[in-house]
Amino acid sequence: MSAAALTSHFVRRELRNRFAGSFSGGLWALLQPLLQLAVYAFVFVHIFKARVPGADAPGYVPFLVAALWPWAAFAEAILRSTTALQDNAALIGKVALPREILVVAVVCSSFLIHVAGFVAVAFALGMLGQGVRLAWLPVAVLLYLPLFGLALGFALACAAVQVFVRDLVQLLGQLLPLLMFGAPIFYDRATLPEAFRGLLAANPFTFYAETFRAILLGHGEFDATRCAIAVGVAAAVLFVGHRLFRRLDPHFEDFL
Amino acid sequence: MNAPLIEARGLGKSYPQVHRSGDRLRALGRLLFSRADPDRISVLRDVDLRVERGESLGLVGANGAGKSTLLKLLTGVLTPTTGSVTVNGTIGALLELGAGFHPEYSGRDNIVMAAALHGLEGEELQRRLPGMVEFADIGRYIDEPVKHYSSGMVVRLGFAVVASLRPDLLVTDEVLAVGDESFQKKCIRWMQDYLDGGGTLILVSHSMYHVQKLCRQACWLRDGAVAMSGDVFEVTQAYLAWHERKDGADAERAGARHDVEFSVVDVRLGEGTVAPLLQPGDDLCVRARIRSRDGRDPQVAIGVVRADGTPVYGLASDMEGQSLRRVGEDEYACALVFERLPLLPGSYLVRVHPMDPEGVRVFDTMERPFTVRGSTREFGLVRLAHRWDERGGLG
Repeated sequence: MSAAALTSHFVRRELRNRFAGSFSGGLWALLQPLLQLAVYAFVFVHIFKARVPGADAPGYVPFLVAALWPWAAFAEAILRSTTALQDNAALIGKVALPREILVVAVVCSSFLIHVAGFVAVAFALGMLGQGVRLAWLPVAVLLYLPLFGLALGFALACAAVQVFVRDLVQLLGQLLPLLMFGAPIFYDRATLPEAFRGLLAANPFTFYAETFRAILLGHGEFDATRCAIAVGVAAAVLFVGHRLFRRLDPHFEDFL
Repeated sequence: MNAPLIEARGLGKSYPQVHRSGDRLRALGRLLFSRADPDRISVLRDVDLRVERGESLGLVGANGAGKSTLLKLLTGVLTPTTGSVTVNGTIGALLELGAGFHPEYSGRDNIVMAAALHGLEGEELQRRLPGMVEFADIGRYIDEPVKHYSSGMVVRLGFAVVASLRPDLLVTDEVLAVGDESFQKKCIRWMQDYLDGGGTLILVSHSMYHVQKLCRQACWLRDGAVAMSGDVFEVTQAYLAWHERKDGADAERAGARHDVEFSVVDVRLGEGTVAPLLQPGDDLCVRARIRSRDGRDPQVAIGVVRADGTPVYGLASDMEGQSLRRVGEDEYACALVFERLPLLPGSYLVRVHPMDPEGVRVFDTMERPFTVRGSTREFGLVRLAHRWDERGGLG
């Protein structure tokens, strides 16, 4: 059986499942992060008076967009795929299929939705003259590739462990916001007190938040070495995640 | 052609015992860091199975014997704890009612999904889809969500997909039972056609009729191990006999009478003391000795029942004006020959009851088993004498 064809089937099914029965269907995919962005923009720009430091700094909204959308894809992919095996318990016990596909489908659908949203919003901001470098948009989309690998690695590991320890998804619900605020998504590295800056390197998303901005807004430096390291980390996480998944795969049906 | 289509060696499956949520964490740790086996419940042990291309195998066994688990191991849905399965071909499986169907989706969408799981995609799928819909034959329900289906419709849908795929090996698990009469016939017809065309079948069924009709080989699973395998007739008869004995033993406990005025000393069938094996048409000789406590001449009732207690035939000596021969101080004997026994293959019992001289009250009971062997496909207990009238039927 062709794994690619089956995966595409499950991705389509996943996309349909998400929006089946909702009034505006696929529109929600775009609407939801837009509303989220509006809330954040209002709170940070008008209440906290947040400004991006620097002389030729971008506006706060494009600054937020460049990092928030990739984060949404990353976090949602992990959180949703953690229960992917559990949700498909009926399928796992009755039909022979490579179980990775169930996780891959969820991660793919999350990324598809959010990359599409990212492109649309970036394009809109570019048209509105908000300092988005549209010529660099394809490169920014390319950066989603290592991010996808990283998310998939975590997703495989979490989905496999969740089968055995059902507390994981609760824990992730607490852990992911921590990771979000621990990465320079809402703020710039420069505004962080010296003492804490070292910690940013420990957060796997720091690189992505800063590099998306460097590519799309020209804010900050694009560092090829960090890029290579990030690709290496993503590959390593994917490898370990997949190994863990394979290791536990024969025992899923016993614990579902 | 040399390699078997599917071969299992030393196949076993056991489940971990998980009672508390803490057990899950420990199990995870064990799986990740060591291979020490925790407490496990074994559901299948050491099963060897070999099915060649073109064969048809019936799996029989009581509930909980491990039949479904075995099928799931063979189809790769479950991972064996011990042993291995080698498959050289495509497998189409109808394992459980509605397995893999999404209740929210329409029948048509689910057919597409199920076909995709079997590796059917794109144009090929579009070409075959009308055929599948037609085979399922559930009318406008095909575009309704599966959650509104009856169980029969779900089976129709599942079978339609498999029928269209024509896999090298078809594995079905008692799913036909919920289809209605005409659909069952359609499926049986299809399966026979499939077998004639060189298909291979593994069938789980509690209907010995289906098993005998479709399969040449059979395998009997008892408590997770192979109890017997071989020719379908021998295996199914042994399996049914086991059931009959089990039921008979249950019925026996219900009531045995202990009135000692007349008692059975001994009953022998045929020549020896072991349970005889007969072919249909053999003679069966029953010899009995009866003790009479106060020296009155007893009568005797002799009956044949199937091993589950279903009566086949019975008679009493006083009906035919017979009296028993006195062979000792208080012992009487008789011998009865059933000539050219018309019983169909199965396990049976001869029951002997002494009766009072008036032939009114029944006292003791003694049973002796015997078995009729054979490979006929007739149904029921006895062969009724018959002939086909050459002049034809009603018209």
